[in-house]
Amino acid sequence: MDDLSNLFCQPTRRDLMRWGVACGAAGALCHIDIQHAFPQDVAGGLDLAGPRLKGVVRHPAMFWEKLDENRVKCVLCPRECQVADVERGYCGVRENQVGEYQTLVYGALCSANVDPIEKKPLFHYQPGTTAFSIATAGCNIECKFCQNWQISQFRPEQVESIPVDPERLIAACKARQSPTIAYTYSEPVIFYEYMHDTAALAREHGIGSVMISNGYIQEEPLRRLCRHLTGVKIDFKAFTERFYAESCAGELKPVLKTLEVLKDIGIWLELVVLIVPTLNDSPDEIRRMGEWVIEHLGPDVPMHFTRFHPTYRVTNLPRTPVSTLERCRQIALDAGVHYVYAGNVAMHPSENTYCHNCQHELIRRLGFRVRFNRITDGKCPNCGTNIPGVWSQEQALAFKPRT
Amino acid sequence: MPRQNSRRQFLAQVGAAGAGTMLPTSRLVAAFGEATKSKSRVVVARDEALTKGRLSEHRDLITKLLDAAMQRLTNAPDAVGAWRQLFDPGDRVGIKVNTLGLYTQPAVVDAIVNGLKQAGVPAEKIIIWDRFDVELARAGFKLNKSSQGVQCRGTDAEQVGSGYERQIESSGRIGSCFSRIATRQIDVLISVPVLKDHNLAGASLGMKNFYGAIHNPNKYHDHNCDPYIVDVVSHRYIRDKWRLTVCDATRAQYNAGPGRHPGFAWSFGGLIVGTDYVAADAVAADLLDTQRKVKGLKALADDGRPAKHISTAAARGLGEADLGKIDRIEV
Ligand SMILES: [Zn+2]
Repeated sequence: MDDLSNLFCQPTRRDLMRWGVACGAAGALCHIDIQHAFPQDVAGGLDLAGPRLKGVVRHPAMFWEKLDENRVKCVLCPRECQVADVERGYCGVRENQVGEYQTLVYGALCSANVDPIEKKPLFHYQPGTTAFSIATAGCNIECKFCQNWQISQFRPEQVESIPVDPERLIAACKARQSPTIAYTYSEPVIFYEYMHDTAALAREHGIGSVMISNGYIQEEPLRRLCRHLTGVKIDFKAFTERFYAESCAGELKPVLKTLEVLKDIGIWLELVVLIVPTLNDSPDEIRRMGEWVIEHLGPDVPMHFTRFHPTYRVTNLPRTPVSTLERCRQIALDAGVHYVYAGNVAMHPSENTYCHNCQHELIRRLGFRVRFNRITDGKCPNCGTNIPGVWSQEQALAFKPRT
Repeated sequence: MPRQNSRRQFLAQVGAAGAGTMLPTSRLVAAFGEATKSKSRVVVARDEALTKGRLSEHRDLITKLLDAAMQRLTNAPDAVGAWRQLFDPGDRVGIKVNTLGLYTQPAVVDAIVNGLKQAGVPAEKIIIWDRFDVELARAGFKLNKSSQGVQCRGTDAEQVGSGYERQIESSGRIGSCFSRIATRQIDVLISVPVLKDHNLAGASLGMKNFYGAIHNPNKYHDHNCDPYIVDVVSHRYIRDKWRLTVCDATRAQYNAGPGRHPGFAWSFGGLIVGTDYVAADAVAADLLDTQRKVKGLKALADDGRPAKHISTAAARGLGEADLGKIDRIEV
């Protein structure tokens, strides 16, 4: 659980009413008296004391269709769960109540931190700035190596959350002077409605929004969302259907589709590949992945190969050797990708950004810190080459979908 | 007490024969109860009077019906003997009810509690449970988290030590955190599902009921919930503790489950009781299909949702799914 209590000002009346609904009506799951949950303890106009709640927030879901016998079909993600009355979708956060589909996590934040944007990781998006990073419970796939499984693989009533409506989130973000909100940690697609509304409002307030996602989303909701986002990072888990099926309870094909749609939309995109020893680290697989990226996304989409640590249901494999990450990086560079990084390996030179034209060192990083950034007006100061990325808030907020 | 001696001797013998492998308790008990027979016995007890009126008006009748079913199940001379064959005064018994959608009737659970008391189980050692306090209360169960009387609480009652284990347990394809009620607070389980249709699993019966014992059932709905249901009940937290299924078929539903759908309500007015939990589910699923046929609906298997988990459980040796090999007794 992150440092939630220090991030937000007092809950709004709407926040409390939402939880009140959750507590009083069907599906009431929380047991803490709302009146006592948020005492008037405000320090510096920001801080919020009091216990967090375990419960659900009921809010109409987007992207679903009615079926017979009070069943619904969710068309938010490629799973297309057909959900009977009183049941939930695979994600565990969308529930059918008498033929109406609801999200149970609208503004129910279980995680909130002010992180360096480099931690997302986004290396070509306003380096050295912070992202106000939030999550709710739930995920629409299940990676057996999930680093955040304590929130992603639980239901909203099983994790502590605090209710924060979009207005209050934006106020908190402004107070922390973050130019960006990052929807991250678990899987933001499953809290789509909240992300959508918050991102739209954030833009009006001059704040950008980046989605850190597995890419498991259908085209229409993705396109609608990208009208409000300013950047996307996709976890590209592997380049085999087998890995997606056996290690993630998902499929590769819909993720490839998402990447192509993002390319078409033209939004800033970076890719992360968590390299799990023996499961997705074969040179041939990385080569094919790199070639696919070049062919479908072009050379300017940065790729990050990051290090696996044993966790959750994969505890029998070692940490990824640094040499494996270096090999993956070289294969992708050889395939023609311009910017390739090794992640979760502090102090490694491949954390830095080098001009793809002249190899001049443009950004030096130390962990998530930026030691220097020499990019000037989006260009390499040495050779004048345009460096792909989002280098200012003005540029971020100017983004509009190409299609 | 000769009853206990003979039972324990039998358990010891089976344990020795099993060369250290743990047989499911239900099978041990079934084998003990039917020492001279090899067939799994399932009792379908029904009373026309139960099909009418409110169940709360029929508490005595339900108790009588269940006691009679238990006698037939165990061949015991009387109800006390029947309950004592399966339960010891030292047992901590968890009654897992189903309160999602069409719910287990409290009057049926009262009859089970009455039986357990006949076996000498103190009220304080009985826990009626499901996932949520609020769903139990909505189904008409009286929550009780005090130290006196029959306990009744949801897994979400963390203030009295419930909640889910923090450790992920692997069993077959599932990886789940189990309810602490199942893992720590009871030694013996009784599954009390409702006879009802399920849009994915085909039928929501005794085995499916234990989806309510894990934190992430929503992850296991693909392929008609198969083999995930069997993976859940195969885990030692369930399999080693499960002694009895009492399927509540007083108010059943033959289509559009598991949510309540009055258009498909079915007052069967009965109970399906067995110690072989695969056999009990097989008989219950058969009743469901029979009713669907009467109403002109397709069989579950032909409606795209075969209750595959029942045959999977049988294939894994958890019990008998072949109706021809089940000793089905109508009371
Ligand atoms: Zn250059």
